[in-house]
Amino acid sequence: MASRQRYDFLLYGIFVAAILLAPLMLEEFWLNRIAKYLVFGMLGVAVALSWGYAGILNLGQGLFFGAGAYMLAMSLKLASPTSLQQGSDKPVPDFMLWNAEPGALTQLCCINKGSFIWLPFQSQWFGVAMGIVLPVAIATITGMIVFRNRISGVFVSIITLALVLLVRLLVIDAQPLTNGFNRLTDLAWLTIGAFQFDPYSRATYYLVAIALSLVLVGARLLVSTRAGLILQATRDDETRARYLGLDVPSYQIFFFVVSAAICGFAGMLYVMVSEFASPTFMDLSFSITMVVWAAVGGRSSILGACVGAILINMIEAKVSETKALVEVWKAVVGLIFVLVVLYLPRGLGGFAHDLLDRWRARNAEAVPDEGLVAERRDTVAERG
Amino acid sequence: MAATALTIDGLEVSFGSVKAVNNVTMTIAEGELRVLLGANGAGKTTLMDLISGRTHSTRGHIHLYDTEITNWQEHRIARAGIGRKFQIPSVFRELTVRQNFEVASCRNPSVFANLGFGFSRQTLARIEEVLAIVDLRDKADVTAAYLSHGQTQWLELGLLMLQDPKVILLDEPTAGMTAAETKKTAKIINSMRGKHTLLVVEHDMAFVREIAERITVLHLGEVLAEGDIASIETDQAVRRAYLGSRSIS
Amino acid sequence: MIDTMFIGLSLSSILLLVALGLAITYGAMGVINMAHGEMVMLGAYTAVLSRIWLDANIVMAIPIAFVVTAIVGLVIERVIVRRLYGRLLDTLLATWGIAILIQQAIRLELGLSFFGIHVEGLGPGLQNVPVPAALQGTFHLAGVEINTYRAFIIVVTIALAAVTWLLLQRTSIGMQVRAIIRNPKMAAACGVDVARVNALTFAFGSGLAGIAGVMMSGFKTVFPDMGTPMVVDGFLVVVVGGVGSLLGSVLSAGLLGEINSVVAALKNDTIARAVIFGVVILIIVVKPKGLFSFRGR
Repeated sequence: MASRQRYDFLLYGIFVAAILLAPLMLEEFWLNRIAKYLVFGMLGVAVALSWGYAGILNLGQGLFFGAGAYMLAMSLKLASPTSLQQGSDKPVPDFMLWNAEPGALTQLCCINKGSFIWLPFQSQWFGVAMGIVLPVAIATITGMIVFRNRISGVFVSIITLALVLLVRLLVIDAQPLTNGFNRLTDLAWLTIGAFQFDPYSRATYYLVAIALSLVLVGARLLVSTRAGLILQATRDDETRARYLGLDVPSYQIFFFVVSAAICGFAGMLYVMVSEFASPTFMDLSFSITMVVWAAVGGRSSILGACVGAILINMIEAKVSETKALVEVWKAVVGLIFVLVVLYLPRGLGGFAHDLLDRWRARNAEAVPDEGLVAERRDTVAERG
Repeated sequence: MAATALTIDGLEVSFGSVKAVNNVTMTIAEGELRVLLGANGAGKTTLMDLISGRTHSTRGHIHLYDTEITNWQEHRIARAGIGRKFQIPSVFRELTVRQNFEVASCRNPSVFANLGFGFSRQTLARIEEVLAIVDLRDKADVTAAYLSHGQTQWLELGLLMLQDPKVILLDEPTAGMTAAETKKTAKIINSMRGKHTLLVVEHDMAFVREIAERITVLHLGEVLAEGDIASIETDQAVRRAYLGSRSIS
Repeated sequence: MIDTMFIGLSLSSILLLVALGLAITYGAMGVINMAHGEMVMLGAYTAVLSRIWLDANIVMAIPIAFVVTAIVGLVIERVIVRRLYGRLLDTLLATWGIAILIQQAIRLELGLSFFGIHVEGLGPGLQNVPVPAALQGTFHLAGVEINTYRAFIIVVTIALAAVTWLLLQRTSIGMQVRAIIRNPKMAAACGVDVARVNALTFAFGSGLAGIAGVMMSGFKTVFPDMGTPMVVDGFLVVVVGGVGSLLGSVLSAGLLGEINSVVAALKNDTIARAVIFGVVILIIVVKPKGLFSFRGR
């Protein structure tokens, strides 16, 4: 086991080095794109944590991503020059002005019903803090209700799915407050001190790459704590864990919340890189797409899920350069997904692990059992 | 006289119109090994469900030493000091044997207390000890799903040893085992004796003779008889109700 | 108000047709078929193509769509789903992949668009299907003005639900399906050819969804993505009704359809759907086994 972990951390080291050194070889235009994919890689980490390790298939991760994105976007919107159109120094989002009732007071407090909730977002750091606090709060409440009531399996998936679609509709319906389908655009850049994070700059890329490295290594360490081990035990057999005296729901809630916090964080980074927040973040297809990335990369491997997300998106970007192939690519993704579920249920990551085990078994003849174990592990995964 | 480990007093539960357990009263002394006998539907497993909190009783009380644990949640009962082995072996199938034992060794139930790495030297030594007792040392790094049926049962017994509860409930620990495996199981259970108070449901009379001190016979949810093995085997009421006219084989 | 209730009933009808197939495949086979929505979409496109190429109206398209979608369903079951029995969440993921494939097949006109061939009625655009004159307008019943097309939807659904019920209760294959719903292993042990029955059930459920698609094409725009919300709604109906309980699905389709149309009349369509999601979450939390279930899976 110990040497297995050594290989693991070696791989993590290689990955981190690769994303940190990438700017030396890439043009600035690509940096922005790759930064986006690194954000998606972070979503892969979140999915692997909750699905692979906790056995909770959350089909509403987009809710937390969207919550993080909107919180930061609201602050950056108010900081944008477009919010100072009415001539005063008090910012009001442009779309509120366009839709204001004639004669309404053009101030954030009362330009329309509810616009006052934007007031604290005049501070950028309030938006940044809320980008984590809100997803964590939603996840804590949801988790308490769901897991304390011992709801499990596909029912958790359906509740999270219904929740993300519910919030998406509310955001769309609250057009005067959120700009609905028209998204929050024309955002300012995040500013720290006097430094502005231009989305196309190296600085922004490094911010995202370092954030991903920290999240990745943090998540990997988290699952190798005792709590991480217990979490995997609850995934295998909730009842057994309960009869050993473990408070199963508290473990499920904790990791559900951690996964949500990562999604919220990713949402904020995405807003920095792509300069908009949209209700499409909370589309069902986006949440399921995240699961696809993790499944292809390997649901039970944090690094695998992360790399899976980045790879799929990079291939997609390459393919999409030829216009005619955009729609074909989507079909190919569908096909890959079917094939992975059928033939590689543990994804590329699991496949790599097995290869590694087999290679090590051949090198160390002393443990002939190992290769056998690796093969049999496939059948275990298939049960799940 | 030893303290009373488990007191069951007037316990009742009904499923629909059927009283699965009806006014059961029994006490088990500290360190005792008690065997529960009874035909299918006599209420043995239901009684275990009631003690371990899986089913909630409609009447009566259960005390663990001086603490009333009636109708608590399962993990609280477990933490109070009652461990349970299921009829169908239940282990963490995708973890290795050693990892299974590590999970069972986690004393502190809270998430935040377990955010650290590794285990104390003492715990690790204890895990080695248990690995030896249940004879799974050379399988320590094997994923539990690949153990044989008997090995899985021993793994679950090992989990209980590491959980180290005061009272252990064993539901048919030898079900589906070969004769050799049954013998080994008897050895493991005998090694647990004294350190824990044990309540065992069992059908296999050869096995019962091997381990039993006192026996309680349940019939249609009620206590029919209680005594040592010799007195139970000759008890007329037991013969009529449970064994029919045949003698115990 | 009665008008609103009536709209709700027609909505419920569509929901029910979609949900019946899901209820059977999920209840009997333990398969979460995310491609079920695409059967609705294919049904709708069958109506589009029947009008263009066969000059057939909606009523005539119903049997065609049933056959087409049933065959597609049968192929999906034989080629992919049958390898995934017992892996509930994997079926969800694999069928999601299938759903994308079917959507892209329509968008890319079955791949023909590459060779410059365009099939009228397919492609990424929006399509509309006119309702035949006989089903347009309204009629009066007991003093209430009723939309003829909505009444048509309700009548067809009642007829199909009755047929489904008869098939399940009165035929030997129906009895086998019920046996599988209760206990698939036992059914197999008793000589039921589970693989064959599952395939037929899957095909039948797909066919019903196809019919729902034909009827939807009469009052909604047809486009390649239209299936996704339908499969979500269908699942909500099944879960609320209780897995494995067909009567539960009927009642919960009625409940959700009515809530939708009442809230839509009071506020708007967006809020109506939001309310539906809220209600469903509440029901799962309070009664995870569904409102009318006899068994959880």
